[in-house]
Amino acid sequence: MERKLPIVCPSCDSELKVNSLHCESCSTTISGLFELPLLLKLSRKEQDFILNFVKASGSLKIMAEKLKLSYPTVRNMLDDLIGKIEKLQHTPQ
Amino acid sequence: MITYLFNPFRYIAGVKSLVAGILVLLLTAITGYFSHTHFPDLISIKLSPAFPLWYFVAQVFTNWLVISIVLYMLALIFSSSSVRIIDIFGTQALARVPYFLAAFTGFFGAMHKFGQYILYTRFHQGEPVNLTSTDVVLAVSLMIVSLLLSIWTIILMYNAFRISANVKGGKAVALFITAFIISIVATLFLSRYYLSLITG
Repeated sequence: MERKLPIVCPSCDSELKVNSLHCESCSTTISGLFELPLLLKLSRKEQDFILNFVKASGSLKIMAEKLKLSYPTVRNMLDDLIGKIEKLQHTPQ
Repeated sequence: MITYLFNPFRYIAGVKSLVAGILVLLLTAITGYFSHTHFPDLISIKLSPAFPLWYFVAQVFTNWLVISIVLYMLALIFSSSSVRIIDIFGTQALARVPYFLAAFTGFFGAMHKFGQYILYTRFHQGEPVNLTSTDVVLAVSLMIVSLLLSIWTIILMYNAFRISANVKGGKAVALFITAFIISIVATLFLSRYYLSLITG
């Protein structure tokens, strides 16, 4: 089963930060306080959309064919995603 | 299933919807010509005398073009997305599918008899008509069906605009109502002009 990376606190819904990173090969653990990269702050569905969009060479037409949705529907999904990314970028850390 | 009925534009837009929509508009006009059902403004469904075919074609295409032009202009002004003209015109054409079904209501003699009955009893025009209870039930049922088809068309037109122009919530509703009112007035005016060309 694929485990989902939690990005919000299940207790208070605040944004989570990275506290430690671990190397599976040598068991080194790095502790600290790191921001999650912007793309990881998006939902899994939104991340998949971006991946598919890049794989489709940025063509909304190809995306629409792949997703079996109309062109404006896919364009609206992209516009909504752009809006969300801009909001995340302008949110004070 | 519900999505396909009320918001097919999630799956179909652009050239496909335009071609399918124009075909539907043509079939609506031809059916209306034979059933004597016309659409004198954006949403009205009425029985008509035997007018020439061009009148039905002009009326049906005017109703589609007027709302599409108004919605496209509003979308250009108020949408933050890049709006494609083919999406607005294509989805608005396809949104008029229920009116193709509405054009069949005129084939029922009960509707014509009911219309003549109303004309005679309320406005003292024409000849007296004997209405049977079956005629009344059928005519009222067809009127309810026509009303439901009109509501379905309005929902489709709204969803077509919402998807094509990427507008949401209150903004989408306000823009659609504005376009709707402008289009009703414009189509009514144009329809009367077409009628004047026939009646002289």
